[in-house]
Amino acid sequence: MASHFSGVLQLTDLDDFITPSQECVKPIKVEKKHGRSLAKIQIEDDGNYFQVNQDGRKQKLEKAKITLNDCLACSGCITSAESVLITQQSHEELYKVLRQNKQRSGGEQQVVVVSVSPQSRASLAAHFGLSSSDAGRRLTSFFKSLGVHYVFDTSFSRNFSLLESQREFIQRFQRKEDDKKALPMLASACPGWICYAEKTHGEFILPYISTTRSPQQMMGSLVKNYFAEQQGLPAQRIYHVTVMPCYDKKLEASRPDFYLTEAETREVDCVITSGEVLKMLEEEGVSLSDVEAVPVDPMFSHVCGEEFFTHAGSGSGGYLHHIFLHAAKELFGEEVKELTYKTLKNKDFQEVTLEKDGEVLLRFAATYGFRNIQNLVQKLKRGKSPYHFVEVMACPSGCLNGGGQLKPQQEESNKELLQRVEELYQAERSTAPEEDARVTQLYHTWLQSVGEKRAHQLLHTQYHAVEKATNGLTIKW
Amino acid sequence: MKDTLELLHRFSAHPDSRCWYVAWNPRGTLLASCGGDRAIRIWGKEDESWVCKCVLSDGHQRTIRKVAWSPCGNYLASASFDATTSIWKKKNNDFECLTVLEGHENEVKCVAWSPSGNLLATCSRDKSVWVWEVDEDDEYECVSVVNSHTQDVKHVTWHPTMPLLASASYDNKVCIYKEEDDDWECRATLEGHTSTVWSLTFDPTGQRLASCSDDRTVRIWKEAQPDEGSSSDIAWKCVCTLSGFHGRTVYDIAWCGLTGALATACGDDGVRVFKEDVTSDPEEPIFSMSAHVPKAHSQDVNCVAWSPKEAGLLASCSDDGDICLWSYKSED
Repeated sequence: MASHFSGVLQLTDLDDFITPSQECVKPIKVEKKHGRSLAKIQIEDDGNYFQVNQDGRKQKLEKAKITLNDCLACSGCITSAESVLITQQSHEELYKVLRQNKQRSGGEQQVVVVSVSPQSRASLAAHFGLSSSDAGRRLTSFFKSLGVHYVFDTSFSRNFSLLESQREFIQRFQRKEDDKKALPMLASACPGWICYAEKTHGEFILPYISTTRSPQQMMGSLVKNYFAEQQGLPAQRIYHVTVMPCYDKKLEASRPDFYLTEAETREVDCVITSGEVLKMLEEEGVSLSDVEAVPVDPMFSHVCGEEFFTHAGSGSGGYLHHIFLHAAKELFGEEVKELTYKTLKNKDFQEVTLEKDGEVLLRFAATYGFRNIQNLVQKLKRGKSPYHFVEVMACPSGCLNGGGQLKPQQEESNKELLQRVEELYQAERSTAPEEDARVTQLYHTWLQSVGEKRAHQLLHTQYHAVEKATNGLTIKW
Repeated sequence: MKDTLELLHRFSAHPDSRCWYVAWNPRGTLLASCGGDRAIRIWGKEDESWVCKCVLSDGHQRTIRKVAWSPCGNYLASASFDATTSIWKKKNNDFECLTVLEGHENEVKCVAWSPSGNLLATCSRDKSVWVWEVDEDDEYECVSVVNSHTQDVKHVTWHPTMPLLASASYDNKVCIYKEEDDDWECRATLEGHTSTVWSLTFDPTGQRLASCSDDRTVRIWKEAQPDEGSSSDIAWKCVCTLSGFHGRTVYDIAWCGLTGALATACGDDGVRVFKEDVTSDPEEPIFSMSAHVPKAHSQDVNCVAWSPKEAGLLASCSDDGDICLWSYKSED
């Protein structure tokens, strides 16, 4: 089976052919029963294991189940993680929850929330010949027809990601003389890049990575904290699904950092890709074009009435754009009207600079795809990176070209489709994150009320270097 | 078999270790070797014997699997199991390590310079093939990472005249890559071998490619018209399979640019030379074994390399740590 993960993840030893040391080494979890522990284990013809007690009684032994967390904490393969993903995070899982809800009375039901990314809307819009906003409204009614209670838009939570990134950049810039790893600040929204950085470059690279949460995980905070409280629901009563352009987002949602220990629930329970949404539509036998359009739930949506808003800059969230404008103004008093992107080695490596009197004040870059990430990391290692901020994305062409997006149909080339998706994405009106009154209000109310430390936890995250297992058995000629 | 392969010299190149690979410099005056002892040795002829001119011993932490000279002869690249590729610059009679290319996840299996000298290809057990670009300041940047193989990639080689790259893998396949919109893409996959493909060599004109494999055969592939309806503009088809000649895995193959002879290095310790019947149909060429030294080495032969300047001069190296130099003489 071909791997769905981004190229970056496929390379990091994660789906390597399994050599002895890289074989799944997670120990089998055995529920120990007290008492004398003398027993035989018998393997039946069908491959089941039975424990034979001294008195001759047989007891079937449970097979160990590997969770996605186990896989993330291991430097071994990811091939096994893929099958884990399929069982833990798939549209089947969403269907299961919806089915269970139908059999339960109101008080026992899970409240199902779906947060849709703007990149997924654009991809589905291109497929069905709709506008992005229209696709958003029709998806809303499709999900609701299945029994979903709320549909939100992750452009809304992206406001928080952009604002926090801007603030974090200013702080890092101001401490750059004392902290050698304050700059360049590397964007944190791409989970493929984060996973690669943790597994391959560990302690060296992690301090550079912005601690700001991605829009998906900002939405996780909003839904499982603020929204739960507003609704008077325990967090575990809410089943939160996101629709993303990317398989790697499933890994992100499974990180222990985004698990609420007390409530025993993840901030995002399940991630499904744009492609999986298409599969759901097909399974239901409906075309998105025929579904009625209804407004998305405004509580956590970047909308004005029927109209969805987007953010300026790249289709990968516009981090470079927003941080650049903010920093130019805050640090140098410069009002930048338009950014000029200079293409360097290839189309996925672009640079933007702020110059004054011949001096470069800010030098930002967008580096997409594995080859450019490589060159960036190597430059950093040699102390030759000239950048203050880099928008790093694992996929060539960024998130609109994510591995979970829809594939071209018939005659259309990948490139042509991507161009249409980009146009649809950019067609929505962009607003600045500072302008969203609801966001400002949430900062004043919710985030004020929880205190500075808790607010930081809700808006930021941390990274962990993964130790590599190496031994002589891995050598192959 | 009417031709002869006469032993000229035998010397211990990597004592108590394996000698993995030998490479002639473009002028044919120096031979670079590398081995399990993590050293590169540079050999040159003085009077009638081959002597070690210098040892490059501090570049790698693990086995050095392959070495390659740049087309100008001033640089040497080495691929190591320590996951790095080192670039060495010749300075008078010595070499200095210019840079270490990092990025592969694990063992780098092969390195090759493009004929123009401004591109470098590497491949690894991590299943990827990387293309690097060199600028005037000797700075190297990765221009492409291609994941077309599903297993360990054993060998990479450049087409002699066109901007094409070929790779061989443990997945039994050969891939041919072409640059497309500032990125390299696999444009043709050559299937036929039934086990690991260990090495590749283009003929001097670049119209044909020879591959050798763990399936004990050599296959000759020829450029062809792509099938009707094929999405690729490149196709190579197998026009000849040499089977029944090799007793074990064929580890390396080299097409002589001067004589057109094809030499193989085999796990049965033998070195063989094949010659093409010039009267045969180009679409169904016939190759015959024209020389064979059964016990050329006391262990597996890892590499064969024809001198680029002296017709018929062949170098081989082995797990026994030795390098042999042979003179191939053809009767006609």
